[in-house]
Amino acid sequence: MKPVEGLVGENRCRRWLALIAVVIGVTGCASGRSYVVLVPDEDGTTGRVSVSGAKGTTWLDKPNEGTVIGAPAGEKFVVAKESLTKEFGPALAATPMKPITFLFYFETGRVTLTRESEASVPSVLDAIRKRPAPDISIVGHTDTVGKNEDNVALGWGRARFVARLFESNRIGTDRISIESHGEKNLLVPTPDNTDEPRNRRVEIMVR
Amino acid sequence: MLKLGAAFAALCIWAGAVWAQADAIGYVKTVQGGASVSVGGRAQPAQPGTPLYVGAVLRTDKDGSLGVTFKDNTIMSLGPDTEITVDEYLFLPGSGELKLGANMLRGTLNYISGLIAKLKPEAVSLKTPKGIIGVRGTHFLAKVEE
Repeated sequence: MKPVEGLVGENRCRRWLALIAVVIGVTGCASGRSYVVLVPDEDGTTGRVSVSGAKGTTWLDKPNEGTVIGAPAGEKFVVAKESLTKEFGPALAATPMKPITFLFYFETGRVTLTRESEASVPSVLDAIRKRPAPDISIVGHTDTVGKNEDNVALGWGRARFVARLFESNRIGTDRISIESHGEKNLLVPTPDNTDEPRNRRVEIMVR
Repeated sequence: MLKLGAAFAALCIWAGAVWAQADAIGYVKTVQGGASVSVGGRAQPAQPGTPLYVGAVLRTDKDGSLGVTFKDNTIMSLGPDTEITVDEYLFLPGSGELKLGANMLRGTLNYISGLIAKLKPEAVSLKTPKGIIGVRGTHFLAKVEE
């Protein structure tokens, strides 16, 4: 693998040109420039993608590793960061803000925020307001104290409470969805009938 | 009784509208220059908050770019002169029904995978004219020239 500046798959391009130049008056190698590049995640790790074409599958698993789509299996290159910025600058600049999750905690058996969560409300509202056209998922949860069906209802009550809180703070409700998981989706696994403050929560996912 | 019927009909229409809204698979978050989203062949100018549904065609002009976030937190942002259709999208983690199938016809794409790729990597695929990109996570760039 060697670094490639800008024109990806140049060698491959020449081969193709030699083959097809006879048939048509080729003006360039635009058709050979479809490619994929894997880039590191925000947290510094790098994922993995496969690129499958007529000549097999190539796996990319290293930072800035790329392959021409349709190239023979395993044919890879490394792209310099500058040429990525050049080619993908506008696409990268259009990246939406990363979705963010907040948790509000509740008093036992009630639809009342804990004092700490009550205090965190303004900062959550601020974070939501900073986003263009936020869409929000609100999921209510309970601990395992009490009956399952009562906890489903309590989860709904908590989720609705948060939705109303947003509404009364002029956060548009047209893109809010709410649901209850009751005691089915514990943050901290516990046996039944266990008082666990960390499970009495509402999850707020803001995109 | 007639009044009641009318009220019920109004309620049905309202419920239908709410359902349609709930059906959105994602939303436009960023727009620069000319960009559109269309469903069923009808294109509308994209703006932050424009909902996406299955079958959506995302398109940018020569001076445009567009960023969308799906319900599972998958992010796609498109550079200029780009066209992508969202052919399949299912995000029902409770029942394990997960699918994201898109088709990139041309342009440049920045892709950050979300929960679907995390929960069921084989359920995510991005088609291009010369091959298919399988997403095991998480961040890649693709350029497709016609």
